[in-house]
Amino acid sequence: MKQYLIQKLISLLPVLFGISLLAFVLGILTPGNPAELVLSQGGYEPTPEQIAEMEEQMGLDAPYPVQYLRWVGRVLSGDLGTSYSSRNPVGEELMRRLPVTLKLAACSILLTVVFGIALGCTAAAWQGRLPDRVIQALINVQLSFPAFWLALLMILFFAETLGWLPTSGTGGPRYMVMPSLVLSSASMATAARLTRSALLEEFGKQYCTAAMARGIGRWRLVVRNALPNAVVPVIAMLGNSLGGMLGGSIIIESIFALPGIGSYALAAVTNRDYPALQGYVLLTGFIYVLITLLVDTLSMLLNPKVRLGGKKI
Amino acid sequence: MKNAKKRILALLLALACVLGMAACGGQNTDTEAENAAEETTEATDSAAEESDGAEETAEAVDPDAEIVLAGYRNLAPGEKDGYYCSKILYVWEPLVTQDENAAPVPCLAESWEMSENGTQWTFYLRQGVKFHDGSDFNADAVIANFDRMKMGVKSSSFYPLDIDSHYPNLESYEKVDDYTIRLTFSQPAPTQLYNMVNFGSAIYSPNCFDENGDFNGICIGTGPFKITENKLDEYVLLERFDDYWGEAAKAKTIRVRVIPDADTRFSALKSGEIMGVIDLNAIPTSLAVELEGDDNFALTTTKSTMIRFLCLNGTQFPFNDVRMRQAVSLALQRSVITEDLYDGFGTPTTNILNYSTPFYKEFPVEEDMEKAKELAAEVLGDERVTVTYLYNGSEAAQKGEAELIASWLSEIGIDCELMPMEMTNMKEQMKTGDYGIARMQQGLSNSEPSTIFRRFMLTSGDQNQNYSLGYHSDEVDALMAEAESALDMDVRTECYNRIQEISTQEFPVVPLFNDVTLMAYNTKLTGYDAKLYGIELPLVAWAE
Repeated sequence: MKQYLIQKLISLLPVLFGISLLAFVLGILTPGNPAELVLSQGGYEPTPEQIAEMEEQMGLDAPYPVQYLRWVGRVLSGDLGTSYSSRNPVGEELMRRLPVTLKLAACSILLTVVFGIALGCTAAAWQGRLPDRVIQALINVQLSFPAFWLALLMILFFAETLGWLPTSGTGGPRYMVMPSLVLSSASMATAARLTRSALLEEFGKQYCTAAMARGIGRWRLVVRNALPNAVVPVIAMLGNSLGGMLGGSIIIESIFALPGIGSYALAAVTNRDYPALQGYVLLTGFIYVLITLLVDTLSMLLNPKVRLGGKKI
Repeated sequence: MKNAKKRILALLLALACVLGMAACGGQNTDTEAENAAEETTEATDSAAEESDGAEETAEAVDPDAEIVLAGYRNLAPGEKDGYYCSKILYVWEPLVTQDENAAPVPCLAESWEMSENGTQWTFYLRQGVKFHDGSDFNADAVIANFDRMKMGVKSSSFYPLDIDSHYPNLESYEKVDDYTIRLTFSQPAPTQLYNMVNFGSAIYSPNCFDENGDFNGICIGTGPFKITENKLDEYVLLERFDDYWGEAAKAKTIRVRVIPDADTRFSALKSGEIMGVIDLNAIPTSLAVELEGDDNFALTTTKSTMIRFLCLNGTQFPFNDVRMRQAVSLALQRSVITEDLYDGFGTPTTNILNYSTPFYKEFPVEEDMEKAKELAAEVLGDERVTVTYLYNGSEAAQKGEAELIASWLSEIGIDCELMPMEMTNMKEQMKTGDYGIARMQQGLSNSEPSTIFRRFMLTSGDQNQNYSLGYHSDEVDALMAEAESALDMDVRTECYNRIQEISTQEFPVVPLFNDVTLMAYNTKLTGYDAKLYGIELPLVAWAE
């Protein structure tokens, strides 16, 4: 167990290196001189002397590998740089906004777990009959609707027409309903579909046939016997979705005016605020890796077969 | 069996973990968010109730109920911004502001005079003005603001706070008495007032600066509103300042929310969640059209300082020939562009100067395809020429506009290869001179037009070079020199008139149209009128 974890952690190092390299290269590849960008925020026209001075100040005259190492050094000491547009430390801004994104992702994953698995179980229990067909149709709709469109439709319907929910902003649970429903829509459908097919596979196994032969109720069979076996792939999928939600909330956050890291990234793109973008890429990459690690560990706990190399437990 | 139990236990743990995470994530922000939330919901609810009530029983209007508005960005970006917040929040006030025609008028400076040689300006300050913190506005406070500007350029999301651009050639500033200050310039500065309008002479209480000249908290101004809470990316809360020197604001509290997405902002307006949209890009014309004819909402428009134009690469054939540039201008049907593509929210023009300044001179917009063909034929002969046409890919309307323009230009022998681009890349490509036509825009930073003429029409002008316009006119160079040294405003105006006339004949760029600033509001409000810069917030109130 310990060994497995250590092995996992070591294998993550190249990934983290890759993410940091990618984030750094992002700043280099982008058009425009960073020194000029810093100075020209808000329409100011800097003179060539000012630009040269800023270049020196920012250390842009050093070769790229040196710049990279300096940058990594600063990042490791917690300094993600200063945003071009707001002049605030990027780390501070991300931390201020992260709770909003985490809250949104948490609500979405909760909806995914609860509704995804429930829908999957219902569909499997009534396979081929009306509930199954209704749920299948729903899944197809959920999977094929682009999130931003769904978001606009929901705002139009629930906020503008019916006035039940606020269109946007932060506040109590009411403010989270639409964003988390939209964000979880696709993953909820995937979870339902996965649960359904995994359950059906379990139903075909002998222990289920035996249980059914003994007259066990449909729901009891699903919940007590088959689901624990069927849920492993769903957990793995949830991990991926959570990562996707953290990164994929960009559009949703800006539509619903949620001040999370996603809308920050979008504003950074519009303002050509590269330190902010680098920080965002680094942070989300890091969180994604962390979640993958967590999910792997969980899967291992849930299913000994997942453990490495088929070693003895 | 034991194994199965273990697994179920593990499963439960896993679920607990996920749920726990969900709960934690929720709780973390809940405490702080909920506090704010309670306020927000309470506030919006009360506003909503208020408005609901108003619908049923017309007289039940609480004049002090909070008014919620929204814009696309932070109108109060906070401590690190050179101005802390935009002028349109009416929190700080300038020494000099502008009237409807963009002419300078007194604000915190009651009057002023220029010395005979134009190098000295004396400002007489308004007495009895208090800052929001209760301290007095006087010459010392103004000098402290100049000291702060002297510390160096401060960036801002609005305009850079730069003493060299607001006070070019400033040699010294001094206090004459408690309510008089004097500025001395190394060169005559007859149009200095224009440079000082609004953002050029913002005044804050010296108590809100730290040792670097940054704000040490919420900014303290003299305006009719003070900021009581600023939650970045969510809202800024304004409250009426009761000790205001002028006429007090009508509304007691105004909340300005940040809703970045235009569709969401529109929905919030329609649902009554917000009462109006403000700032630039408040509402896209396509959505504004939907509100026309709805009694619950109204639109308000004013001249914008933005002008849209085509840059033609004057360093290369065929646009190095002035006849070709004239031909392009004649071939354009500008009113078709503004009417069909921008729903009438734009004013066709051939003048390089934006129409919001008092120096603007109106010229007829000439459209004549036959004449255009003749002029083009003189340059091209029987040949056709192919040019690249760059436009901003992120502005949806520009694609249709480019196609329309390309179809007209094809009639005069120009075939356009349309190329959507990202703005920075586009500017870089223009700098290298590798383009034929490019669609650009330019805002007018203050109503003194010399900046625009200097940048686009002087041989050494930065935009003339950056955009590879290749424009050169000895007459313009001479006129600019004459205007700069002229102390007499009439002489200056005459020079500017002639330069504008030249711009409509020689086309350093080919202007398309002047923008219209467009805002929308719920008719439960009164006093919501678009002004040259934002709306006059102190006049906004609930309708009786």
